[in-house]
Amino acid sequence: MVKMFLESTGRYFLFLKAVFRRPEKWKIFWRQFINESDKLIISSVLLVGVISLFIGGVLVIQTASNLENPIIDKMYIGYMVRESLILEFCSTMVALILAGKMGSNISSEIGSMRITEQIDAMEMMGVNSAGFLVLPKITAATILSPFLMLLSLALGLVGGYVVVEATQIIPTASYITGIKAFYNGFYIFYSCFKMSLFCFMISSIAAFNGYYAKGGSLGVGRSSTKAIVVTSILILMADLIVTQLMLY
Amino acid sequence: MIKVENLNKSFDGVPVLKNISVTYEPGRCNMIIGASGSGKTVLLKNLIGLLEPDSGEICYGDRKLSEMKEKEKKQLRQSIGILFQGSALFDFATVIENVMFPMEFFTDWSKAQMKERAQYCLEKVNVIGSDGKYPNELSGGMQKRVGIARAIALNPSYLFCDEPNSGLDPYTSILIDRLISDLTREFNMTTVVNTHDMNSILEIGDRIGFIHEGEMLWQGDNKTILQPDCQELKDFVCANTLARNIIEGRY
Repeated sequence: MVKMFLESTGRYFLFLKAVFRRPEKWKIFWRQFINESDKLIISSVLLVGVISLFIGGVLVIQTASNLENPIIDKMYIGYMVRESLILEFCSTMVALILAGKMGSNISSEIGSMRITEQIDAMEMMGVNSAGFLVLPKITAATILSPFLMLLSLALGLVGGYVVVEATQIIPTASYITGIKAFYNGFYIFYSCFKMSLFCFMISSIAAFNGYYAKGGSLGVGRSSTKAIVVTSILILMADLIVTQLMLY
Repeated sequence: MIKVENLNKSFDGVPVLKNISVTYEPGRCNMIIGASGSGKTVLLKNLIGLLEPDSGEICYGDRKLSEMKEKEKKQLRQSIGILFQGSALFDFATVIENVMFPMEFFTDWSKAQMKERAQYCLEKVNVIGSDGKYPNELSGGMQKRVGIARAIALNPSYLFCDEPNSGLDPYTSILIDRLISDLTREFNMTTVVNTHDMNSILEIGDRIGFIHEGEMLWQGDNKTILQPDCQELKDFVCANTLARNIIEGRY
């Protein structure tokens, strides 16, 4: 088990070394980067948006139901919703959702190419297949994912606002005051950094599993599942470490 | 020309190729034949560098593959065209983009020049009017043709075909065989075809090497193969009814 873990880790870093070689042609890299940005990030906007809207609304209701003490100002509900969204939901929870969507997409795409000899064909042409296929995915996911985090935050707050307006669970003015209170810009940076890191992990681990997929279509399925499970666990572990390092 | 000398390859201690020596000449269809599991694909993968031999030498012209640096190997790969068993066309690209793919990486041609060359290659393999289609919209035979067009896009000196007829009907098989043979002669390529299809062997086998349990037991051509002096080859050839009838003098 330990041997297997060490072997996989070593292979993962060798794979990253191949991925981060200088692209053969920058023009091709940028074209692929645009394609991957669309496929991985833009296509995730709807999913992230819908989930964030609903979670924002739910957070307002849950926080309000737990803060019924009349001594506590209602604006703290808005404040707590905002902090929950920034610190954990918009980065970690969204990343876990993306691990499923983005991770399975990358792993199955590259895995299918592996078992149908498309990757062998590229290698035989003298093309660095890891660089061509994976580098644009990793760079697009890592660089652009903070925008998903910011979008998630904005829509989460809107979701909360809609619930407050519709149910008057707390006065709207208190909610607005709460989401503007005690603003700490570093938390936004912290959340964007986490999101980038998690999306780097999602894209690279999923690509690694797909790249070394074997055993036909069942093998591709297995590699996708493994990629999602491993990435989800590593995201939670990385979350703990990064939070300890950056917030304390 | 490709020269193989005393090539050995084993997996987990089990020998798969035993002391293979053979020469593949340009302008000819050189065939590797044998039953499934005899070591044909392993030999082909050694030839194209996807596997490394345990011992022995593979020479491209006067250059030994084992002594080539990574940069030289990369250059060599650009002079090699490969038709994979399942065609291995890129799903993300259209027919014309598939053919243009190697040009985009290894030439400084303009898009118009690449397109012109791709269309020339597609015309050579009789694929006309399918430029914008994706591989999954093509039949098996068409996919093979596009695979050949991609393989010859950079005007290679060497062409390797791994079971070019697998999954094709006899008529399409013959067309693909003739296409490979014609292109080999026209561009004077050193072509190596890995197959166990008797029709192909008889149709285009200018030079044939028969592998049995990892050993090259017989070498000849499509004329001498019907008078085999090797029992294993006779068993292999006689598995085909037409060839058996010819060998046994019924025709």
